[in-house]
Amino acid sequence: MPKILLVEDNEMNRDMLSRRLERKGFEVAMATDGRQGVEMAQAAPYDLILMDMSLPEVDGWEATRQIRAAPGTKSVPIIALTAHAMAGDREKAIQAGADDYDTKPIELERLLGKIQALLNRNGRG
Amino acid sequence: MKRAAGRATARAAKPRRAVRPKGDLARRLAALLRLTVEIGAAPDESAICRSVVAGLHEGLGYDFLGLFLVDPATGDRVLKASVGWPDAPENFRLPPGRGLSELPLQNGELHYTPRVARQPRYVPSPNRGSEVDVPIRVDGRTAGVLVVESGTVDAFDQDDFEILTAAANQAGLALARARLLADERRRADEHEALLATMADLSAELELSKLLQATLQRAVTLLGVTGGELAILDDATGELVVVASHRIGKDSTGTRLAPGEGAMGRVAQTREPLIIPKYAEWLGRSGQYADVTVHSVMVAPLLAGQRLVGAIAAVHADPARTFGAADLRLLNMFAPQAAVAIARARLLEAERRRADEQKALLETMADLSGELELSKLLQAMLQRATSLLGVTGGELAIYDEAARELVVVASLNIGIDSAGTRMALGEGAMGRVAQTHEPLIVPSYGAWEGRSAKYTGATDYAVMAAPLLIGSRLVGAMATVHSDPSRRFGADDLRRLNIFAPQAAVAIENARLYTAAQRQQRYFEDLVSNSPVAIVVLDRDHRIVSCNPAFETLFGYAQPEAVGRDLDELISTEATRAEAVGYTQHVLDRGPVHGMGRRRRKDETLVDVEILGVPVVVDGELVGLMGLYHDISELLKARRDAEAANTAKSQFLAHMSHELRTPLNAIIGYSEMVEEEVADVGHPELAPDLQKIRSAGRHLLALINDILDLSKIEAGKLELFVETFDVRDTIRDVSTTIRPLVEKNGNRLEIRCGEGLGAMHSDLIKVRQTLLNLLSNACKFTDHGTVTLTAAREANGDGAAWMVFSVADTGIGMTPEQMAKLFAAFSQADASTARRYGGTGLGLAITRRFCQMMGGDVQVASETGKGSTFTVRLPASLEAAAPTAS
Repeated sequence: MPKILLVEDNEMNRDMLSRRLERKGFEVAMATDGRQGVEMAQAAPYDLILMDMSLPEVDGWEATRQIRAAPGTKSVPIIALTAHAMAGDREKAIQAGADDYDTKPIELERLLGKIQALLNRNGRG
Repeated sequence: MKRAAGRATARAAKPRRAVRPKGDLARRLAALLRLTVEIGAAPDESAICRSVVAGLHEGLGYDFLGLFLVDPATGDRVLKASVGWPDAPENFRLPPGRGLSELPLQNGELHYTPRVARQPRYVPSPNRGSEVDVPIRVDGRTAGVLVVESGTVDAFDQDDFEILTAAANQAGLALARARLLADERRRADEHEALLATMADLSAELELSKLLQATLQRAVTLLGVTGGELAILDDATGELVVVASHRIGKDSTGTRLAPGEGAMGRVAQTREPLIIPKYAEWLGRSGQYADVTVHSVMVAPLLAGQRLVGAIAAVHADPARTFGAADLRLLNMFAPQAAVAIARARLLEAERRRADEQKALLETMADLSGELELSKLLQAMLQRATSLLGVTGGELAIYDEAARELVVVASLNIGIDSAGTRMALGEGAMGRVAQTHEPLIVPSYGAWEGRSAKYTGATDYAVMAAPLLIGSRLVGAMATVHSDPSRRFGADDLRRLNIFAPQAAVAIENARLYTAAQRQQRYFEDLVSNSPVAIVVLDRDHRIVSCNPAFETLFGYAQPEAVGRDLDELISTEATRAEAVGYTQHVLDRGPVHGMGRRRRKDETLVDVEILGVPVVVDGELVGLMGLYHDISELLKARRDAEAANTAKSQFLAHMSHELRTPLNAIIGYSEMVEEEVADVGHPELAPDLQKIRSAGRHLLALINDILDLSKIEAGKLELFVETFDVRDTIRDVSTTIRPLVEKNGNRLEIRCGEGLGAMHSDLIKVRQTLLNLLSNACKFTDHGTVTLTAAREANGDGAAWMVFSVADTGIGMTPEQMAKLFAAFSQADASTARRYGGTGLGLAITRRFCQMMGGDVQVASETGKGSTFTVRLPASLEAAAPTAS
């Protein structure tokens, strides 16, 4: 069962997305800000990280850079979740080291496709 | 050859001495004198010849004689007159080598042949007795032969020789004079022609040269030693010697009082005068005491009845005296000289006046506000009256609107007529204004055409002329004379005709000048009252003048500004180059319009709208005019408005974000529950949940569009430029749109041109643009066709453009609907929005996207037939391109 780390500060989004992913058969761990996200990523291995970009404490781009910079987590696939059409969000996410991105609100089918593609790439599909 | 056979018998029958009594010297001399006078009176060569022959026959009894003149061209002797030779026709010719009459031609001496029959060259004739051949000398050359024959051998003696020689000499002198006279006449004709053209050549002809030439001609004509010529000074009544030729001194400049000296005398008496011995003459002038002339002949020079001068001819040789013939000759010459002088003087006077007139008109241009038309006209009238030598006159200008003459100047006519208005045809000026012809009225009071407006001075003689420019009437003038003895004549008319066109032109010029002045004042008022700052520069960028608004705007008074370089005066270091560029652009290429910041005298800055226009006068660029409009307030208002708009956009962006967060939860949870309802055993809830989700998605789309739009307006939406394949993008877009296409039973056609290649632009925005247009097309089309076309085009300068068009067969639009199509929150109308849904923001966003990417979107549509949206975008957009809308 693939383990996914969801870093999301909004409680309802976190609750909704985690429950829907669990219903699809994923094991979901949750962090509520960027710092906690980085700590959790380093504390335990995850197959994929879903990273919101607008986070308190440490924002999503910075958290992504830190995860990429640490030797133990540098190859974990990261999907950046960006707000709709915020100027430059997408580019900044890719530059920070995200493997893919998706926009909120989440369309579950589309997100699942992207998750599956990255897991397959890493031989965990 | 002498063939006067008819008279031969009679001549032979009576003894020669019987008809010509020898020894009666007194009678013969009297006859000879008569002959001389006759010859002198003869007007031309053939008359002289006839006089000589007739005089010798009738007065002195020679019965067979003829007079030959040599034709210089052939040497032939040509018979000019004869007596007793009935068979010899006039102009009978004797060639060289024949006849005794050739002998005097050979040696210039009288030749007597007592017995003609013995001479070999004698051509036999009925009078074969004796013959005298006398040479006729003209100007020192033998020019003819006088031939006298007799049927009797040796019929002539010494007395005959003397008489015939004297007659031949007289004939020679007369012929010489006749030839001179002929020359003179020819010259006079030339002179006439010259005078006629003098008006044109006026500058070249000087009166003094003409007078000198006239005098020399007279001296030559009369065969005298010398002479002098004087003209009358009208102002003083004196004669002034203007030409002097060989009278023993140069008398030029001598002034003679009326009656003084010979010329003064004839000027008074108007009769010619011969003074045989000048030294003894009591009337001689003291100014000529040192002159050693023997005899003098003087004549007045009269042009018509008017004295213009006097001419004198002198003999220094005591042997020579003046006679009736000389007088006659002088009398012939004098009038010609007088007329020539009068004309020359008149022309010179006219020329001088024309120069004055020209000078006056030139002066007019300089006297700006001070010269009024009325003053000019008054001056002109004064000039005319003095030129024409009349008592007074008046001048009227033509009021075209009222079709009346208005008297504008009047002088010495008994009343002040200025302001009087006259209809065409009324009075003398009204008459000439109507007929366009000058008019002379000998006595105004007796004239049937007189105007009742002129009651005084009715005994005046009036001469009036129209003032015309071409055939256009500009006015009329009249001159009057109160002297009953004075009559206007052709000469006055002629002079009036010289003056009138000048007056007409002067009036016209003055009118134009006044009009131009009025116009100038009009423009000056316009400029000085203009709220816009106006400055005029010369071609060196220096200030020529500025208006009060300029002074107010920049704080410089005109005196401080004039002469300064405008751009140095009001531009700052930062704007100097721009300002100079504007100025030079106007001078080199034409009008310029721009905005900039300029410096006031107090160093504060002012934002101005600048308009520069070249100033061209008569085709020549003389400078430029700059207009400055203070737009500080305008710019501030614009900045305020922009700031307010930005704040609004930021508020919208913020609010949209805040709205979206709970909306995301609504959509997300409704989807989640929808997924779960079947599992938990309540499938009947699914349709309601779908409605919640659908409404939520619509609200989200609306909010997203508002967010996009406000970001665009706030300048926060950026371009992300990348290279992508156009065909891939089309494929991606068509896949995405397919569910919407099928929803209304439409068909999607994709037409991709050859070589679409790659685009370097913002992929997301290109995609969104195409999706927006396709979704619109699908929305407004039912069971029709939606066509997406893509092509690469190259424009003139080689840049490549991508052209996408989306055509549908839907409901189309009216022109009114198209007009507001791209405005935000605008669907064609409210009912459309209700029926077809949509936010009404899609096209506004699409257009802004296209503009951000350096292109645009256009639409063509027809109600009921469908619409075609065409997007043109640069195929390659530089990353550095402007990003804000």
